[in-house]
Amino acid sequence: MVDGDGIEIEGAWARPGSEGRMSAAYFLITNFTDEDDRLLSAESDVAQNVEIHESYEQENDMVGMRELESVDIPVQSTIRLEQGGMHIMLIQLTRSISDGDSFELTLNFENYGEVVLDIPVRL
Amino acid sequence: MKFRYLFFIFITLLISTLLSCGPDRLDDYSGDSYELVNQNGETVVFPDDFEGNPVFVGFIYTHCPDICSFITSNLKKVHDELDSDDDTQFILITFDPERDTPDVLKSYASAFDMDTEPYHFLTGDTETIDELMRRVNVRTNITDELAEKSDQDIYFINHSDKILLIDSRSRLVFDYGGSMTPVEIFIEDHQKL
Repeated sequence: MVDGDGIEIEGAWARPGSEGRMSAAYFLITNFTDEDDRLLSAESDVAQNVEIHESYEQENDMVGMRELESVDIPVQSTIRLEQGGMHIMLIQLTRSISDGDSFELTLNFENYGEVVLDIPVRL
Repeated sequence: MKFRYLFFIFITLLISTLLSCGPDRLDDYSGDSYELVNQNGETVVFPDDFEGNPVFVGFIYTHCPDICSFITSNLKKVHDELDSDDDTQFILITFDPERDTPDVLKSYASAFDMDTEPYHFLTGDTETIDELMRRVNVRTNITDELAEKSDQDIYFINHSDKILLIDSRSRLVFDYGGSMTPVEIFIEDHQKL
């Protein structure tokens, strides 16, 4: 694992979405601290509700989505929020976001506290 | 004379063989017809109006932030990889017609910079959409997880993850997992048509 400090976020981005609709944000979270941590919630003024969700494959070849209460980030580990898996769900966008835009997203960790991100929007 | 006759037979067999080459057909939609509406409010008959061109078809709903956005983006990436003079059409059909009106689809298409030909975002009346989804084996199941969190009509849909490649004669030639299939696979298969 590459050395680092604290909780580090890499490769953040989000999908385009139109006002009133949905988008999703993705990134890698690496815990360089010396204690386990947990992502508890996320906030942004770009959406009315921001939740942690997970897409999952069902038995009958369908895909579904469910809310997660939190995401464990064990010490010295990297957790991926990625396509078809865990993601930050932006529900009812307050404005349209297109390729090239960006918005602020705050992540709340149980131990590390707040991490504020600038999320680029791309296809 | 005999040589010319044998040559004629050979050429006939060769042409016949070449015409039968290419991927196997999984289904034939040429006898089907669904009256839909595009993002500009114009009536479109699927697949009739697209015969003569290969067509990629994805199935989405615009309240879906993860899987459907990847299906949509995948089709755009395929288009970007094809030659600029390629006449392949790209269709995204909603299975949530009550919320995905033409205006909503237009806004969604704009967010993805796909609001022009060869992209077609299609909706329709519920009965027609349901019939079409059954025909192409797209399954859906509404979940009401968010209903109590908002005064608006928010719900999600568990659904099949699917992109189809239909040839210029409205025959299904490839059936993909829509969000996870690499763009190179679509391009490779498209070249087999």
